Amino acid sequence: MDFTLTGEEAAFRDEVRAFLRRELTPEVFAKHRDTGEQGMWTPDFTKAFRRKLGAAGYLGMGWPKEYGGGGRSRIYQAILWDEMEYHRAPGLDRSMTYIPNALMTFGSDAQKAALLPQINRGEISWFVGYSEPEAGSDLANLKTRAVADGDDFVITGQKAFSSDAHMADYAWLAARTDPTSQRHRGITMFIVDMKSPGVTIAKHPTLAGWTHHSVHFDNVRVPRSMMVGEVDQGWKVLMGAIDFERAALASPGLVNYQFDRLLAWCAHSRDGGERPIDDPVVQDELVRLAIEAEGTRIMSYWLASLHARGQYPQHETSLALLVKRETARLFDEKGMELLGPYAPLRTGAPHAQLDGEVEIEYRDHLYFQFAAGGFDITRNVVATRGLGLPR
Amino acid sequence: MDIALDDDQVMLKETAVSFAQQALPAARIRELETSEQGFDAGVWKEMAQMGWVAAAFPETYGGAGTGLVELALIVEALGQGATPSPLFSTVIEAGFTLLDAGAARQKDDWLTRIAAGEALMTAALMEANGGLRAQDVRTRIARSGNGFRIDGTKAFVRDAGAADAIICVARSGEGAEDLTLAIVPKGATGVSLRRMPAAGGEALWQVEFKGVEVDADAIVGDVGTGWLAVQRLLLRGAAFKSAELVGIGQASLDLTLSYAKERVQFGKPIGSFQGVQHHAAEMYRDLEVSRLLSWQASSSLGEGLSGEREVAMAKAKASQCVPALTRTAHQIHGAIAYYRDYPLELYYHRALAAQAAYGDAAHHRRVLARLLSTNNAAFRGQDAHELPVHYF
Repeated sequence: MDFTLTGEEAAFRDEVRAFLRRELTPEVFAKHRDTGEQGMWTPDFTKAFRRKLGAAGYLGMGWPKEYGGGGRSRIYQAILWDEMEYHRAPGLDRSMTYIPNALMTFGSDAQKAALLPQINRGEISWFVGYSEPEAGSDLANLKTRAVADGDDFVITGQKAFSSDAHMADYAWLAARTDPTSQRHRGITMFIVDMKSPGVTIAKHPTLAGWTHHSVHFDNVRVPRSMMVGEVDQGWKVLMGAIDFERAALASPGLVNYQFDRLLAWCAHSRDGGERPIDDPVVQDELVRLAIEAEGTRIMSYWLASLHARGQYPQHETSLALLVKRETARLFDEKGMELLGPYAPLRTGAPHAQLDGEVEIEYRDHLYFQFAAGGFDITRNVVATRGLGLPR
Repeated sequence: MDIALDDDQVMLKETAVSFAQQALPAARIRELETSEQGFDAGVWKEMAQMGWVAAAFPETYGGAGTGLVELALIVEALGQGATPSPLFSTVIEAGFTLLDAGAARQKDDWLTRIAAGEALMTAALMEANGGLRAQDVRTRIARSGNGFRIDGTKAFVRDAGAADAIICVARSGEGAEDLTLAIVPKGATGVSLRRMPAAGGEALWQVEFKGVEVDADAIVGDVGTGWLAVQRLLLRGAAFKSAELVGIGQASLDLTLSYAKERVQFGKPIGSFQGVQHHAAEMYRDLEVSRLLSWQASSSLGEGLSGEREVAMAKAKASQCVPALTRTAHQIHGAIAYYRDYPLELYYHRALAAQAAYGDAAHHRRVLARLLSTNNAAFRGQDAHELPVHYF
């Protein structure tokens, strides 16, 4: 048991930090980061940055060598995700964190040969078509239809709450192939080219300021070769991908950045006044937050350690995600409390603190409470899958 | 980085948990809570035979030379079984203090016998004021003839009634550099004991030293060097109390889960209700975070790192979470666990006692607040980034 990075791991962390600082200078933030409609980074910059990650060898770093990967342990992958999240880098999304893993586990040889090299070079972006208007937490209720027609399937339906659909080259899509089936049976997974005729995208402004999307599929033809796994057997693929997703989302970089930003603010004097950090009540708040951040960090690296040992944690990934997101929300709450009268000031307002970022996150991170399972659904998963309580 | 138990550790954990759970029936554990000795001598003998008493001692003294994580796993298991033993007093408090600061002769004298289960020791640090700072030690030690004379009253001393010797922390002047440790043998003239009955069943004692004379060779380390050893004792105590809390929490969660699966109300097992499931998930979440922090604490002490931050975080978290977890466990059980013959109360009371020992949550947050204001690097840990100051 070792809670510290080895010399080689620490060197890799330093290399990644240097890369991120070089690429994401304050000037780059000013030019390409748009906390308005675009949602943090512009799609063009995100795509360009993804290619840089590919060129630096980071995207396929943890993949097996047979897929053109670097074969490095999951600890390195966890370090990369941690540092990317901390530095608020673009591109730390499904296109690098779990679609490739799901593809390697469930994809056909032809799909792997066609797509993995492109993913490795950072050339393609994905959106995940799971949620629908009638299938949110109850994902097995999805209604989008895929009907076999010769060598194709024809897909019709609507996907909702579709993050990054507007910049996606491919959809990782769940559709019902057996209309007589109940619940999680009769669902099949597809890879859908987003340039296909019949795909349209609608915009939905969010309270966080950025625009979210939904995707309509109107008789979209998908070749049978782009089906993932067996027909009607998609639920296993879908759930397997979710386990990969949760492990990636549980990265501790965000909460560590939230802590450092708040600590920096508390240690800073405004107009030569008293520093918040000299107040024992503020110290106690920071200490409580530091303990939660540390718990989040260790739990994430615990998961990575299990992965590195060749184990497949399942409910533990849900647990780690819950810990991370609840901690992030605690930072949002306590951050707003500590900012006092400045709390509601928006970016650009006179006297806005920390560029208004804490207020942005206070609204943006609302989705932590309901997305990728959400807090209550995750507790259900942990209680039933993890603790064996009856459904 | 490899935050997982290896095969040997998994085996040790399983063996220790199974031993601790079967060592004594609950009725016997309750009987021991009010006994003079506080533990079962036969169980202690077995623990010594299995090599757990001295697992983390060097082989020279009959130990197995394991790391402190292994010892934490044993302490966790004893917490999980609610198994009373003098492991904390004899090994974690006194034994390691001798290993840390004792003369070769003292180690030869005591450690091998401790390892064999033939000698018991304890350490007397706290007093009536309940503090853990150097200035809270009021007991005096002064030269007297060729030896020393001790006067004062200690409190919260574990297993003093059973111990063959007490390592007493006393002062000869006013500063932290005036603290000295002395070994006082059982039955020394001027020592009187009074039991402090307490929730959780640990045998705590008030120990009065009235003109107690000890030889010069009873001093542990050098005169005036006691505070260094005490600081390490405090870290060790807090780290292993957090391990004990994790074991207590595990047992409480396990009892709750089996009850929730079996107990039927409204025609269903109560564990199928989301209100109960969410409680259980939160208990488990808090327990796993506490467990990882606790492993990190004992690992960092075992690696010879300062461990101050890691130990304080572990004990602050476990002290807050585990008693809360036992309260929720009772809420889910309802009236059945309010009856004393149901085992949950053992853990309810042990959680209360363990959160108080070696600094409660507030104490450890105070330690962290001091690090925060005085030693930013120590507070933020080894992987810290430079603070983002571009906002100002």
